[in-house]
Amino acid sequence: MSMTVILGAWIAVFLTLGIFSYLYKDNPFYKTAEHLFVGISAGYWTSIFFWTQIQPNLFGRLWPSSEFSAESLWYKVYNGLSFLSTSVFPSGGIDKGHDMHLSYLIPFALGIMMLLSLIPKLNWFARWGIAYTVGMAAGLRAYGYLNSNVLGQIKGTAASFTDPNMPFFSLTSVSTFNSLVILVGTITGLLYFYFSKEHKGVLGKASKVGIYFLMISFGASFGFAVMGRISLLIGRFVDLIKYSAGDYNNATLWVLVIMLIILGYDAFKSRKTPPVNEEAV
Amino acid sequence: MKALEDLILKIGKVDRRWIFLVLAIAVFIPIIKPIGMPIRATETTKVVFNTIENLPENSKVLVSIEYSPSTKPENHPMTISILRHLFRNNHKVFVTCLWPDGQFMAQDALKQVAEEEFGKVYGEDYVFLGFRPGNEAVVKGIVSNIRKLYTVDVYQTKIDEIPLMDGIKNFKDFAFLFSCSAGYPGTVEWVQYAADPTGVPMSSGVTSIQVNEVMPYVQSGQMKGVLAGMPGAAEYEALMGQKGFATSGMDAQSIAHLVIVLFIILGNAAFFIERKRSRKY
Repeated sequence: MSMTVILGAWIAVFLTLGIFSYLYKDNPFYKTAEHLFVGISAGYWTSIFFWTQIQPNLFGRLWPSSEFSAESLWYKVYNGLSFLSTSVFPSGGIDKGHDMHLSYLIPFALGIMMLLSLIPKLNWFARWGIAYTVGMAAGLRAYGYLNSNVLGQIKGTAASFTDPNMPFFSLTSVSTFNSLVILVGTITGLLYFYFSKEHKGVLGKASKVGIYFLMISFGASFGFAVMGRISLLIGRFVDLIKYSAGDYNNATLWVLVIMLIILGYDAFKSRKTPPVNEEAV
Repeated sequence: MKALEDLILKIGKVDRRWIFLVLAIAVFIPIIKPIGMPIRATETTKVVFNTIENLPENSKVLVSIEYSPSTKPENHPMTISILRHLFRNNHKVFVTCLWPDGQFMAQDALKQVAEEEFGKVYGEDYVFLGFRPGNEAVVKGIVSNIRKLYTVDVYQTKIDEIPLMDGIKNFKDFAFLFSCSAGYPGTVEWVQYAADPTGVPMSSGVTSIQVNEVMPYVQSGQMKGVLAGMPGAAEYEALMGQKGFATSGMDAQSIAHLVIVLFIILGNAAFFIERKRSRKY
């Protein structure tokens, strides 16, 4: 087995056990793993976003190789940029199968405006970029939610109670009983969030039924959440067991023992050190 | 009786770290010594299987990968089983990613299934289009004009030079979509912006935590079944007759659930005993 694979296994074991060590208490192993995770994620995402979108789809549309002309002013600007990095701006234009679209200067400008939030005096520019993003997302999502979550759901759950072919009860398909449960659950659940009238009498009773529906829903969500977390725990355990083998120089065992000794020593030391009386200080 | 109540109270006040330890042991032992609990496919899993089974040979299927290594134990076995099923039935597979990390997950699954198990030819039997940032905007882009969004594949080969991409213009050119999702953007966005507006059938494999969110789409017929977390993946492996990671993890999953239920019962019992005693005095 190659040295890089073994080293990767040791790092994976250290990071996994470092995160798990938080279950005992907050400690430097956990902090190291947490900070590495955040830092590497940010770096990785930035790099991926740049090389999959900004370079091919933005720069590739502004300076495509298909329309390269060394004499044009536009490509002279590009040649100037090539001095910064030839991998981002290769000579002869960017060859990603695009035609020139100068309208992409608008998202380019909005992107630069977003980055200006780093400069306190110019950070108001960022609002333009954010406003565009929020507006576009709101417009996109409004249609999607209305079509699929409102109309689609009404269409999918609407049932004719007089339909002779519909069974009264079925666990897996549409039935009169299931439709009634959906109807009662939806109405009483909505009534629970109706605050214009005091929850007394019929409204109080209906909203209480709504609470039960909500609690069942939260219970199901909790159950699934636990199931998901256990699945992830199994995944980590399987890897830890795999890395405890001799092929990986018993990475799990060594890292675990070293961590236990250090954490144990720290616990022993902090037990011996008397707590600082803050008031006296 | 009092002794039993005292014992339950004592357990109810136990340090949470002991509970973590018991749970870790409960997960660890079945991984080392599997029990081999039976796995029976649920209706939602069977619907996914039957939908793929009923696709005509050489159907063009879009597989979208929307998960990262953090949910690999739940999602990856689904991707592998679905790819096996698609390649076994000689379908043409197109892989996209809405998550940047999904690219590595897809690469790993394609290498294992397409290359090593089935010996499929890249560009003729499958295409790996890769990741594009933009969340639901990417889904909208695939629906309206996939060639505008993807001018090159993940290996930077021009789309026009890939034989399998002939005749593929937008989402309607696919016979089926399978989204393997761990959150946003993922299954919900595919339903809202692709499957519902175009009528192209879709199924999904989701993490346990997402099941409650996507189940209404399954019940209303907006989605053709769903693989729900690690159990869903294990059920699909059972239907395929090829045991994998999910099947081996199900023993640990079941035992861990029993332990959690036991702790919930004990915790509640301790709560009620304490309340009874406080009322008494």
